[in-house]
Amino acid sequence: MTRASVVLALSLLVCGARVSRAQSASELLRQGVQAYQALEYDAAAALLERSLRRDSVTGLADSLQTRALTYLAATELFRGQRDSAVAAFRQLVLLNPRYRPDELIFPPQVTNLFQEVRRATRAIAVAVPPVTELRARLDRFKARVLASSLADVTVTLAHEDGTPMLQLYSGPVADSLLVSWDGLTAAGTPADDGRYILRVTPRSPAADGPRARQVVLDVKQQPPDTLPWPPTPALLPERTLTGPAFQSLAAGLVAGAAVVALPSLMAQGKDATGARFAVGAAVGVSGLVGFFARKPRPLDANVRANASQREAWKRRVDAVKAENAARLRTTRLVVRAGPETIAERGSP
Amino acid sequence: MRIVGLIGILALAAPALVISQGRPTLAFRGDAGFVWVRSDTAPAGAGAIRLRGPVLGGEGRLVFKGFSVGLGLSSGTLEAADQGTAKRDLIEGRLLVAARPLPWLEMSVGPFVRAYVTDAVTERWVFWQARARADAPIVTSGLTSYVELWRAVSSQVNLVAGAGRVQGGEAGVTYRPPKRPFSLRLAYRVDDAAVRGGGDGSQMLEAISLSVLVGER
Repeated sequence: MTRASVVLALSLLVCGARVSRAQSASELLRQGVQAYQALEYDAAAALLERSLRRDSVTGLADSLQTRALTYLAATELFRGQRDSAVAAFRQLVLLNPRYRPDELIFPPQVTNLFQEVRRATRAIAVAVPPVTELRARLDRFKARVLASSLADVTVTLAHEDGTPMLQLYSGPVADSLLVSWDGLTAAGTPADDGRYILRVTPRSPAADGPRARQVVLDVKQQPPDTLPWPPTPALLPERTLTGPAFQSLAAGLVAGAAVVALPSLMAQGKDATGARFAVGAAVGVSGLVGFFARKPRPLDANVRANASQREAWKRRVDAVKAENAARLRTTRLVVRAGPETIAERGSP
Repeated sequence: MRIVGLIGILALAAPALVISQGRPTLAFRGDAGFVWVRSDTAPAGAGAIRLRGPVLGGEGRLVFKGFSVGLGLSSGTLEAADQGTAKRDLIEGRLLVAARPLPWLEMSVGPFVRAYVTDAVTERWVFWQARARADAPIVTSGLTSYVELWRAVSSQVNLVAGAGRVQGGEAGVTYRPPKRPFSLRLAYRVDDAAVRGGGDGSQMLEAISLSVLVGER
């Protein structure tokens, strides 16, 4: 119990310290901005530098980092430290090539310097939608490649282990470029479930050149919805039933037998005439006539009607079959993109 | 007993008249037949009497939905089958009230009168019959067989011995030609009437008949 309490207390202490440091980084940024606005540039520079020195875990988020770097560059410029300002802007461009300082907040000398640095600094980035659903081969997954200045890049798609899968683009990017992927592998089959890496790499890597960027794509195949088979048609009977024929025979024979047996049933022990046999035979023969009149036979009209119904049903089945085959050919993919990161140098 | 019978007839007929929404229809039947009679009702030692002869008759019915009221009459002259017996006239009359609880079943009740008339005497039987008839189509409604059984719930005869058990039955086949307003019927009928306390004394009547029917029954 005592050991558990100690572990809990230490955990709380460590977590509390981290939260405190994270808060202090943003607090330093806030104070730095206030100092900048009060034209206290030395204090502002010190505070902003301190806010940026925090480690990645407790430091500022990307958006706050870009803010801190912008204010730091402006501060250094007004302090007359142009080189420091250029360094801060360069770091800013590398961090986010799409970033532009707000021209309502910062004066032209600041934004002009930024543009100058941006043109001189070669940085690239890649932007993808967080989730994309596409039909392989028919639809496209789209990624936008951004460059701070003209850059020669190669956009590739690789397996998670780094094995190259597909090259999507290779060539210059002036400002931005839309790259698309149809969801197929180089073999022309839909990409299997798994993680893939979309990487934008400079074609001529240099120490001071832009760094490669990558996004991890989590691809999942979704089985297509296929149409159900059309219901079998309700067919008409093609032959008359045997039941009515035997019912007719039974009705005639029973009635004929009743005629013959009536005297025995209703006038027992009496000598009846033979007249009943004639009538009984006639009734029995009528049963036979009924049997042959109602014996099973083909119903031509029903046979014809059924044939056309079967033909129509077969056509519907063929249509569904074709539609399902087409749907099965077009596999649906769901692509979920992770955050954009800087690729390790030398990674494939 | 007759009063009870009449009440029964009215009880059956009244609902027919009340619930009938359509117009009643008429149906007629004309019969031509041949009758055989074997009677042991004569005094002991007189022996059995055998008679035979043709009869003609008819029946009319007023038909409501599932119910009908009918009146029938037939008559003929019977000749003796053996020598020494005088010929006599046969007259039969019948009133009935019928209902069809099921399409294939008809139940009916009503009085039946049969008379053998000679120059000297008239032998008259009066029954109150309860009848049940089952129809079985052979070929849809075109050719139909039927069996009908009946029993007297009350019987009376103007013989000294009096009437005992009286029962009978009829079976046959009805044919309705296509697109014709009439039907043809071939039937065999047998009635047996015992004389009360008369030992083996009884009277059996057999008949075959060919009939023409017009209208729905």
